[in-house]
Amino acid sequence: MPQRPHTDTDEDPVESAAVLGTDLELGYGDTTVVDCADIVVPAGEVTALVGPNGSGKSTLLKGFSAELAPDAGTVLLDGTAVHDRSPKQLASELGLLAQENDAPGGLTVGDLVTHGRYPHRGFLDALNDADHAAIDRAIDLAGVEHLRDTALSELSGGQKQLAFVAMALAQDTDVLLLDEPTTYLDLHHQLRVMEVVRTLNEDRDVTVCVVLHDLQQAARFADYLVALDDGTVYDWGPPEDVVTEDLLADVFGVDAAVSYDDEPRIVPRRALD
Amino acid sequence: MSRQSRTRTGLRPSFDGALAGIAVASTAAVVLGALVQVRYGGYQMPLETVWRALFDRAVWTNPDVLATILLGDGHAELLGVYHDTAVLSDATAVVWTQRLPRVVVAVFVGANLAVAGAIFQAITRNELASPYILGVSSGAGFAVVITIVFSLGTSLLPVAAALGGTGAFLLVYAVAWRGGTTPVRLVLAGVVVGTVFNSLQTGVFYFIDSNGAMRTAVSWLAGTLTGVGWTDVELIVVPTLLVVPVALTAARHLDVLLLGERRARALGMRVETIRFGLSVLAILATAAAVSVAGLVGFVGLVVPHAVRTVVGSDYRRLLVGCLFAGPALVVVADVIARLGLGGVQVPVGVVTGLVGGPYFLLLLRRTESFNEF
Repeated sequence: MPQRPHTDTDEDPVESAAVLGTDLELGYGDTTVVDCADIVVPAGEVTALVGPNGSGKSTLLKGFSAELAPDAGTVLLDGTAVHDRSPKQLASELGLLAQENDAPGGLTVGDLVTHGRYPHRGFLDALNDADHAAIDRAIDLAGVEHLRDTALSELSGGQKQLAFVAMALAQDTDVLLLDEPTTYLDLHHQLRVMEVVRTLNEDRDVTVCVVLHDLQQAARFADYLVALDDGTVYDWGPPEDVVTEDLLADVFGVDAAVSYDDEPRIVPRRALD
Repeated sequence: MSRQSRTRTGLRPSFDGALAGIAVASTAAVVLGALVQVRYGGYQMPLETVWRALFDRAVWTNPDVLATILLGDGHAELLGVYHDTAVLSDATAVVWTQRLPRVVVAVFVGANLAVAGAIFQAITRNELASPYILGVSSGAGFAVVITIVFSLGTSLLPVAAALGGTGAFLLVYAVAWRGGTTPVRLVLAGVVVGTVFNSLQTGVFYFIDSNGAMRTAVSWLAGTLTGVGWTDVELIVVPTLLVVPVALTAARHLDVLLLGERRARALGMRVETIRFGLSVLAILATAAAVSVAGLVGFVGLVVPHAVRTVVGSDYRRLLVGCLFAGPALVVVADVIARLGLGGVQVPVGVVTGLVGGPYFLLLLRRTESFNEF
């Protein structure tokens, strides 16, 4: 099992890491969920965390966002530990779109996105021009302009998710973490969300780390994949290297056919015992 | 397009039909309630006399008289502005020293309870939370009954109520704290502390020996404005002047807190600090109201809830709406409490309870789903 990142990339992955976890142990109480030597989210790329339920994807994300203090090891963001930053400082550098998306139904999309500016405002500050610009840009990028004055309670699940994505975009961070942003969405909105993420990465050079349930989607949209198995890194690298029939058998317990002609294609056949 | 919508967002808070409607209707209710309250009672007077008393030149053109009425004889003398109020006509004296302060106290009690309720509803993320949810009522009630049992003097009651309420709140926080709190832990701790204090209070009740003391205790626990004067206004004005501006400034933080704890944290909020700070603010407002009026129920629960259904869950609008609707409810309820039963005055808390119950019945009948929050 390769614990170290592959070395077949152009640059040293540790050098170009936006987020770097070293000798990381994360858990709740006495239970350790994640225990991995090195984990790298390369700057300027889209990295997908994949793995079966309970493999520690969300926990790892909580460690990255300083929501969970590591039992051992460190998480570095741009070279300094995430835990050394004040909450506002961290939130202006690293955005997190969590899975739970309940919010007051009476809130409009515009109001919600405005809250994305929270880390950039002082206790008494009103919105300034930079805030308005960031809000407009986020709403535009997420494609929810037409919903700006609509209450969240009147949105479909997919529209709501795009509104929350817009809020995270308004935060205007260099790194964005997303925890299963496409789960429970219809196909159209799954693709919309992933396209927004892709555009954000390409146009604004934002480093993205996204937990995805759908392996094929991860293989299509991400530059790098981190496959987690029972809290450790099973494999790391470009999708073609990581998503293999062995991975599906070893980590996911699935017998599947994997092919890369023009698109990654995963055809699961049966569950392995 | 984006510029257009930006202007729209910028303009919306200043022009809000629903909020303006609440403000106008509430102000009208307060003014009408005040007129009824000032006119009727043991000393009846025609509306014309009321008018003349309210705008009595003997009061308005003489700052010393006004100061003596508002500050009380003692304080006025201390400040060297004392003027004998015996020069005033009977009508003016009744209106200015007895009936008007009661209306003013009602306004402040309503505003404080409504704002405190709105804040606690955000902190506990529960739209049915009241200002008393974190043990304040039982702590204050216990302290009040103790004060009465040991005959420590009725002048100490406001202080005892404020201290008891604050003490219980701090105890709730200590019980709920385990490396941090959550809304559910806070509410549960509130139940724990509330239950214990309520039992103690009921137990201590049996040590009250005189009927008069019993009546005082009961009306305090139910919440009453009988006998309040300008000294009570002084007591509640100071915390209000602190609470209202701070709450309006903190509205944005309440909005973010409502998005959920994880999200608030991801946006860079120090959730525990902000939550505790806001709780203290709401406790200050509650204690101010409780210290002058006792435990007036339902206001802090019904008013924010009703205002939210009209203006939505944006906290700046909600708090402004509460500042108008809270006073309206308490002033009108107090008119009913004082004059509704002819000769007998009931505690205003009894009336607010009678209004609050049916409001939720109506809500239960008319609402399909409860997802406003």
